[in-house]
Amino acid sequence: MFSLRFSPIAALAVALVLTPLILLSEPALAHEQAGIAGGALSGFLHPLTGPDHMIAMVAVGIWGAQLGVPAIWVLPITFPIVMAAGGVLGILKLPLPFEEPVIALSALVLGAAVAIRLKLPFAFAAAIVAVFAIFHGYAHGTELPHAANPLAYGIGFVVATGLLHLCGISIGLLLRWPVGDRLIRGMGAAIALLGCYFLVRSLGGIA
Amino acid sequence: MKIVSAHAARITAAAFATLAAITPAHAHLIGTRFGDFYAGAFHPITDLNDVLLWLALGLLAGSLQGERSRWLVLLFPLGLACGFVVSTSAGITFGGNATNATLIGALGLALAAGTRIPAPLLGIIGFSLGVTRGIANAAAIEATTNLTLFGAGLACAGYATITLLMALVMAFRRAEAGPATAWRGIALRALGGWIAAIGLMMIGFTYAGSGST
Repeated sequence: MFSLRFSPIAALAVALVLTPLILLSEPALAHEQAGIAGGALSGFLHPLTGPDHMIAMVAVGIWGAQLGVPAIWVLPITFPIVMAAGGVLGILKLPLPFEEPVIALSALVLGAAVAIRLKLPFAFAAAIVAVFAIFHGYAHGTELPHAANPLAYGIGFVVATGLLHLCGISIGLLLRWPVGDRLIRGMGAAIALLGCYFLVRSLGGIA
Repeated sequence: MKIVSAHAARITAAAFATLAAITPAHAHLIGTRFGDFYAGAFHPITDLNDVLLWLALGLLAGSLQGERSRWLVLLFPLGLACGFVVSTSAGITFGGNATNATLIGALGLALAAGTRIPAPLLGIIGFSLGVTRGIANAAAIEATTNLTLFGAGLACAGYATITLLMALVMAFRRAEAGPATAWRGIALRALGGWIAAIGLMMIGFTYAGSGST
């Protein structure tokens, strides 16, 4: 058992930390495009500010690292191209059903694959990732024609997506150590849980 | 005391000399003697199509190593100069968004796939790309522009960019020494994948037309 006691020094320290944080706080912007004219920065932020996109992309990188060669190098090369194919579908406004649920499902499936260290034949794993890549690309592609500079916007979101994969692959390097393996699998479980939340939300289960 | 005075006198003299040498600052290079040269050299930076295409060509040429790509060092700037001359003398313009997107996609795919393009074909691609970009950059000239300086600046920028990019890529690849450093080649091909993705989307956007917005 321990008792809580009021300490003036601790209170002063907390106040000193909180005061600048409160003073520096700014209004939250729910929409990431606010104040940005749809250029490279806007495109770059699009995958980063959508948590469902972000965790799925990181999970792709981690799973690639878990699967090893050739997935670890085929994935970063081919994923952006397949994603671009999905992007073209979005640009052309071709209907793609269940866009948001499938993006959420991608986080759930990829997170679960990382968590249980799922070893699939390369072709099968590539097919799963390719299907999800098309849906992620579609979501980005629908935004592209509305950008002030579509080329700059496209560059931004392709670079951000590639860097998220790189981030995942870098996390995958922890596999060299037993503790790192457990850490990565825990991370996969967290991604799967978040994917589950986004899936329920996209299906209208959570307001 | 004497030493300090002498030192102070030297500093004062240097300060006066510096102040006397001051000339008005030129915020725009166009106001300087070689303005048109620099305008030509830096104009490609203002167009992302130029930036992407030059980058893609330089990465691809560098990844093919010197035996195949060394002629590009001459052919690409020559193409730029030819395109510029053709455009300024015959009034030809280039507004090919679809061509740009296709070229970006094709160069990116070639880099991503690790295609071993033969030297003559690479030379033709480099020269043709130079011609199209020379015509596109010629659109920036005005009535007062010195065409020779602008064209020379453009060609020099093409030469410097392609040469430096190829050299950087070759040096980057040369450090590969076994499986531990094989990621260097993969990183280059991944960059090709990024470029191809951008090209593919821009092809879609171009063909979707204004109705897509």
